[in-house]
Amino acid sequence: MTDTAVEPAAVRPKTVDNRPLRWIGAIVAAPVIFGAFAAAKGVNPVAMYADVLASLADPVQAQTVLVRGAILLLAGLAVAVPARAGLLNVGGEGQIVIGAVAAAGVALVADQRLPGGLVLVLMIVAAMAAGAAWAGIAAGLRLAVNVNEAISTLLLNFVAIDIMLGLIYDPWKDAAGFGQPSSRPLEDTARLPLFTTGGTVNAGILLALLALVGVWFALRRTAWGFRLRVVGGNPEAARQAGMRVGPLLLSAMLAGGALAGLAGLVHFAGTEFKLRPGMTTGFGYVGFLASWLAMHRPARVGLAALLLAAIAMGGDSLQIDSGLPAASLNVLMAVVLLVVLGVRRKS
Amino acid sequence: MIVVDVLAGGVRGGTAILYAALGETLAERAGVINLGTEGSMLTGALAAYAVTAGTGDPWAGVLAGALAGALLAAVHAFMVLSRGANQLATGLVVLFLGAGLTSMFGAAYVGRAISPFQPYPIPGLSEIPWVGPIFFDHDPLVYASYLLAPALWLLLFRGRWGLVLRGAGERPAVLATYGHSPVLVRYLAVVGGGLLAGVGGAHLSTAYANAWFENMTAGRGFIAVALVIFAAWHPLRAVGGAYLFGAALALSPALQARGYGFNQFALDALPYLVTIAALIVLGRRQANAAPEDLSRVFQLTPTR
Amino acid sequence: MRIPRLSAVAAAALLLAACATNTTGSGGTAKGAPGTGGTKIGFIFVGPKDDYGYNQAAFEGSQEVAKAFPDLEVLTAENVPEDDNAARVMEGMIRKGAKIIFATSYGHRDPALKVAAANPDVVVLQQGNIVDGTMPPNFGTYFGTVYEPVFLAGIVAGKATRSNKLGYVYAFPISQTLDNINAFQLGAASVNPAAKTYVVNTSSWCDPAKQAEAAKSLLSQGVDVISQHQDCTATVIRATEAAGAYTVGYHADASPLAPKGWLTGSEWEWGPLYTKMVRTVVAGSFTGSPYNANFRVGLKTGDNPFVQSPYGPAVSAGTKKLVDGAKAKISTDGSPFLGPVVDQSGAVRVPAGTVPDYKTIESIDYFVGGVVGRIPAS
Repeated sequence: MTDTAVEPAAVRPKTVDNRPLRWIGAIVAAPVIFGAFAAAKGVNPVAMYADVLASLADPVQAQTVLVRGAILLLAGLAVAVPARAGLLNVGGEGQIVIGAVAAAGVALVADQRLPGGLVLVLMIVAAMAAGAAWAGIAAGLRLAVNVNEAISTLLLNFVAIDIMLGLIYDPWKDAAGFGQPSSRPLEDTARLPLFTTGGTVNAGILLALLALVGVWFALRRTAWGFRLRVVGGNPEAARQAGMRVGPLLLSAMLAGGALAGLAGLVHFAGTEFKLRPGMTTGFGYVGFLASWLAMHRPARVGLAALLLAAIAMGGDSLQIDSGLPAASLNVLMAVVLLVVLGVRRKS
Repeated sequence: MIVVDVLAGGVRGGTAILYAALGETLAERAGVINLGTEGSMLTGALAAYAVTAGTGDPWAGVLAGALAGALLAAVHAFMVLSRGANQLATGLVVLFLGAGLTSMFGAAYVGRAISPFQPYPIPGLSEIPWVGPIFFDHDPLVYASYLLAPALWLLLFRGRWGLVLRGAGERPAVLATYGHSPVLVRYLAVVGGGLLAGVGGAHLSTAYANAWFENMTAGRGFIAVALVIFAAWHPLRAVGGAYLFGAALALSPALQARGYGFNQFALDALPYLVTIAALIVLGRRQANAAPEDLSRVFQLTPTR
Repeated sequence: MRIPRLSAVAAAALLLAACATNTTGSGGTAKGAPGTGGTKIGFIFVGPKDDYGYNQAAFEGSQEVAKAFPDLEVLTAENVPEDDNAARVMEGMIRKGAKIIFATSYGHRDPALKVAAANPDVVVLQQGNIVDGTMPPNFGTYFGTVYEPVFLAGIVAGKATRSNKLGYVYAFPISQTLDNINAFQLGAASVNPAAKTYVVNTSSWCDPAKQAEAAKSLLSQGVDVISQHQDCTATVIRATEAAGAYTVGYHADASPLAPKGWLTGSEWEWGPLYTKMVRTVVAGSFTGSPYNANFRVGLKTGDNPFVQSPYGPAVSAGTKKLVDGAKAKISTDGSPFLGPVVDQSGAVRVPAGTVPDYKTIESIDYFVGGVVGRIPAS
């Protein structure tokens, strides 16, 4: 289904046989293009990529890629599920923050009173519910007043961050934090368990994989998932078939928000342990890229998340070894996405 | 008078958004939505700042900014019109590209001084009580925007080219039978939109803040896109929306400078809440006013 | 499709790499004293090195260190966010041979502590924050007493203002900023009891658009002296100069931007302090040294790395004498916050005759009387 006015007659469809070749060409093209930008800044692209790969081979870095990848996977799924229903959820950033805020809130009340495992479970529930509710606002606006969710979720991102800041600068400010704006650190017992002592990979990766399986199952094997995909493919047909499109769209957004909220929990209870300004650093947006890279297929979202996490880790090397600003990575990610989006042809 | 200050600040701060919104109106009227408008504003801001720093002439800077914004929008146009990529996703990717490129190449310009646009109070008009300071004591780009909005309205609704442009958004097939290429029209509209967004960015860096810093647009491009919707794709209503948002931005410092105490972060969130509220209030009407091809973009996010 | 299979292989490789040498971290057991035996020194900055402000000053300090230690290579990383990424950047530098790391931003403390714990042979020095409780043997925080030159600048501002309205643009109500604003007001009020300081926040360390609007709104209220606590300072200064008002600088000597209105300011001179610290570390004497603590240096205790900027043309000789007098007083009595210090509600926060310690000062959470503005109460 096309959504632009490219008249079919004006464009010759490419033959299917070419596609793998074009894919490979695409994946090669992106680093070349980025290398050109780097060269324009006086950096040797070959040396730059060599440094990046070397830094990734390090076990500590590799672990961080997994930790980040887990969060990006959840953030990507948060975009993928609504996308299958035809909705654009750009609010991952805000939903992640709200999820982390909810988890932190539960922790502040409970982590010194209840056993750690129970607190963790409560945090997970709270984070998912809060993320879902935050996405639900956008869904509600779409259904009630036809406000496009791409815009509303984007705007809500800013509001979510302000909510968090408002909390950590005043009611939730850690009294023992020497005036620093952050909430009280999470008790050790309620933190996500680590896989190995001394490592950094935490159980969040299990939660992410569980979510991945859950989403795959829901989309592929449940009636709900089937109806979702029908609505995403052709809402008119769905309506005519008697499906209740409104509630389906709503449930898709709520599911997306819940997944993003879970990402917030994993970040909070697995890495950060307290709320502080700037804690989410763009996970929502990179998760969005991951979902589009994978064309919203759950398993591929996982791989895309891993890839983007690896690229993000490469940013350190860009900075230290090559002297490029960390934000340069956005260029690489964008070029990869553009190349991939450009390769795909709409049928 | 706080009202005068806030409204004057609204015009001053809303101008960059207005340029971007006017540009995006063109694009969306032709049937293409460009969420990468923010990216065009950023590239416009940096290019304008850099060229102004190099040449000493802010007008040269504006030209450079316009070109930079147009260039980035051309990427979006190519992806969407010739490669068939999803409009909404591509826009965001283009934004990433713009943000990343400007961070990469803008570092050298942080802290560098330029000779910016100076405010020029229009003699006579600027002395009118209330209206004077609000509208007639600003830099030349603001004054230019006063002319641009009605000019665009004329173009869209009274000119032949406007008909062609709107045709591309409403009835591309009909347009084609009349010998115009909807694809070409859309290309021009999107690139034109990026050009104006670039001017908006230029205003931000060479007239309003007189500085460059990465991500300095802070979401203004998204606001512009939202504005276009709740202005029902109407250039003149976009003016009101842009100034409304600008006023919301100006409210916080205006209140604080007078000693009124409000929660810092509630005030920060206000502009975005105001925009959402405006979208809600005007939402129903907009659904019917959208150019037809654009509606299809909004209804569906293709999953293949 | 071929690609997913390729990516799956890559993912597996990544997993293997991660699990591979899990137990051997990047820190071994310390052989010599911490910080010795390295070939490089690492500096991380939270912002860009040419921001005409905080990070530029720290960067210049790092270059002074490079000059003083020609056989050690200085590694720098800009725009390092105040989160986990900072820990990784620091680890990266350590892997390259750095045994001394300077984490130059307030918010780098927690990642810096993590890195120090994982690398007992590396000395990590953190700029601007405090460590409560036991100080690890290879860690230290340091800072100058920024509020002292700000207090002196406040005196100049208090004398220069005609409208008795001073302005201060800041980002967030963190203790460092509150100290600055309070010191500014206290300094001004000490020579001009009618002076008031109006504060406007921007919720960002460098958002030129918000800075421009903040400056404009202050100026439109009759404020005629503006200072700030921001990472990039040019926008506010230029707006102030364009309006014909006076400027009190911060972080750097920006007098070229305000040829008429520049009064004075405060700026960093990190070079000497950084160099002294590195010297101590390299000699093997870090643990137990004064730097292996929450090291604070002020006018009373030594050379404050935060110094007063040169005066501008508008400052009279009489004012300069007042400042000299105040400086002498601080060097003996010890602080601009010598009691009594009263907050906005009139409550006495520092009793008469007492000087609060650095920890108290750096945990401040109120505005003093004379400051017009609101912050969250704690």
